[in-house]
Amino acid sequence: MDWFTGQSADRHFFLLAVAVYGLSTVYSVFLWRKGFREDNRANYFLLLLAFALQTASMALRGFRLNHCPVSNLYEATIFAAWTIVTVYLVVGVWPRLRFLGAFASPVLFCMGVFALMPGLDRPHNAGAEPVGVWTSLHAALLSLAYGAFGLSSVAALMYLTQERNLKFHKLKAVFSLMPPIQRLEAIVGRLLLAGFILMTIGLAIGGYDLFRLDHPDAHRGDPKVIWSVLVWLIYLSLVVMRWKFSQRGRRFALGAIGTFVFVLLTFWGVNLLSPIHNQ
Amino acid sequence: MPIVVIGLSHHSSPIALRERFAFAQTDVPASLQLLRDSGVAEEAVILSTCNRVEIYASTSSEFRPACDALKEFLLTCHGYRDPLTDEIYALNEPQSVQHLFKVACGLDSMVLGETEVLGQLKSAYDIALQHGHTGSRLNKAFQKAFNVAKQIRTETKIQRGSISVGSVAVELAEKIFSTLSEREVLVIGAGDTSEKTARALLSRGARSIIVSNRSYDKALALAAELSGRAVLFEDWAKEFPKIDIVISSTSAPHHVLDRAKLEPLMKLRRNRPLLLIDIAVPRDIDPAVNFMENVFLYNIDDLQTIADDYLKQRKEEIARCEQIIREKTEALLGQRGSQGDTRIRPAFGHE
Repeated sequence: MDWFTGQSADRHFFLLAVAVYGLSTVYSVFLWRKGFREDNRANYFLLLLAFALQTASMALRGFRLNHCPVSNLYEATIFAAWTIVTVYLVVGVWPRLRFLGAFASPVLFCMGVFALMPGLDRPHNAGAEPVGVWTSLHAALLSLAYGAFGLSSVAALMYLTQERNLKFHKLKAVFSLMPPIQRLEAIVGRLLLAGFILMTIGLAIGGYDLFRLDHPDAHRGDPKVIWSVLVWLIYLSLVVMRWKFSQRGRRFALGAIGTFVFVLLTFWGVNLLSPIHNQ
Repeated sequence: MPIVVIGLSHHSSPIALRERFAFAQTDVPASLQLLRDSGVAEEAVILSTCNRVEIYASTSSEFRPACDALKEFLLTCHGYRDPLTDEIYALNEPQSVQHLFKVACGLDSMVLGETEVLGQLKSAYDIALQHGHTGSRLNKAFQKAFNVAKQIRTETKIQRGSISVGSVAVELAEKIFSTLSEREVLVIGAGDTSEKTARALLSRGARSIIVSNRSYDKALALAAELSGRAVLFEDWAKEFPKIDIVISSTSAPHHVLDRAKLEPLMKLRRNRPLLLIDIAVPRDIDPAVNFMENVFLYNIDDLQTIADDYLKQRKEEIARCEQIIREKTEALLGQRGSQGDTRIRPAFGHE
């Protein structure tokens, strides 16, 4: 069938993966309402199916391009989503942690829909220079950073859910399988710190890569560079507030989610406006 | 040779009567020997707990004569001569086997779904087994009972959740803090429920207890019992920076802790989560503190509501448990028809 063998086969596989993420998101609503006590195996297998489809999509593109597919925004986003679903499938082997899928599914679905937006998957120019090592490293590190931020926001969402249940004295608070909120808060903080470190290194490598170009001043005024510095500063402020000023709990979780939502909503537009990221 | 059960439990008799029929564990082997020597039972197990005294026996006699003989044994053994009405019950197959399974699963317990009785049943069976008072029928029935208890524990929600105020408080603490082993508990007011709650937290690994009471002597006494430390009532706020859980049960007519008092204390604690358990009536802690970030306040009604919800949930599982028990009983007994029985009681749930 041409749909699965043609030039766009990898995108079709990814489209199917996003559809399965969507199904998983719908099922997750049911799990949320049941306080995470219902059988999560169905959700685990849905995400496993989506993972298989997404891996097939990435493999097809990787073989076609003959390098790791992280050279445009579409590829970077699906790489970040792939890291999230992979981590979930590993930790989900333990039945007690399988409920995490109910939180990961909406994030993965949003990332999938975002990746499929028009203009993100810019075609690879056959005559263009192959992607350099530094550029690949820059893209891969930032993908991992956004993956960590994504997972951090998933953990923050879990924190807010459980914190709300505890505050309002819901039976779900003691009934659910979710970890203690103190542990969730620590997970949010550690993932955010890991993402921040990866982002810092990724941006530093990106800066070094630009410096090596023929026009090292090209980054001045570039919307994506300014945006990246802004995002980096927001995450820096969250890290400082957390560790220097003991800004814990609800506000910190909201900060982690809010910043990641901001990234998801603005990444696409800013990337389109950036000449150096659209070459 | 059918299995019969005769005995009395919290369903049928008050503690004043049950304690007169209780067997000391050391006397059980001799009593079993006596019972078998009497010829009424080929195999026997005696279960004696605070909530029940029961004899499970495999007998070749007819049900009614066997019951009369077992009842007489029970009365003679304890020198009981007062009149009885229907305090002692007797069950024949298949109800006797179903009853055994229900006891093993905690369905017949005072605290529905509790697991302690399973350990007691295993212990009673082990004593009979070691002294050679069981045979193929009781061995199969008891082994099956232990398997059914395990199946019901894993497949139903009958043992899920806490149904006492103290254990609900512990569960809440475990949903807030990564580990209880690092947690310090402050008990304000040396009441009975606060003591039980503090004990429950200690049993789950809480690091230490600080007790504060208007009467310093009472604080000292409770602190000694809990292996904790007593502080003067005027000084409890000074302990706050290192405290994670507060159990308050003073008889003060006003709030002991309110938002104005707690806000500066939370800063000293660097906004670590704080669990406040207010079991005083009138309440010791201003409900408004629950609106503060990282503060989780539960009063006695909140805890009781959670405990009641758990109990309700357990009760909803009874039908599923009974279905499993019926199937397993049929599987054990095959298609053999049951003999008549004197009186079948529901034998589970709260009285």
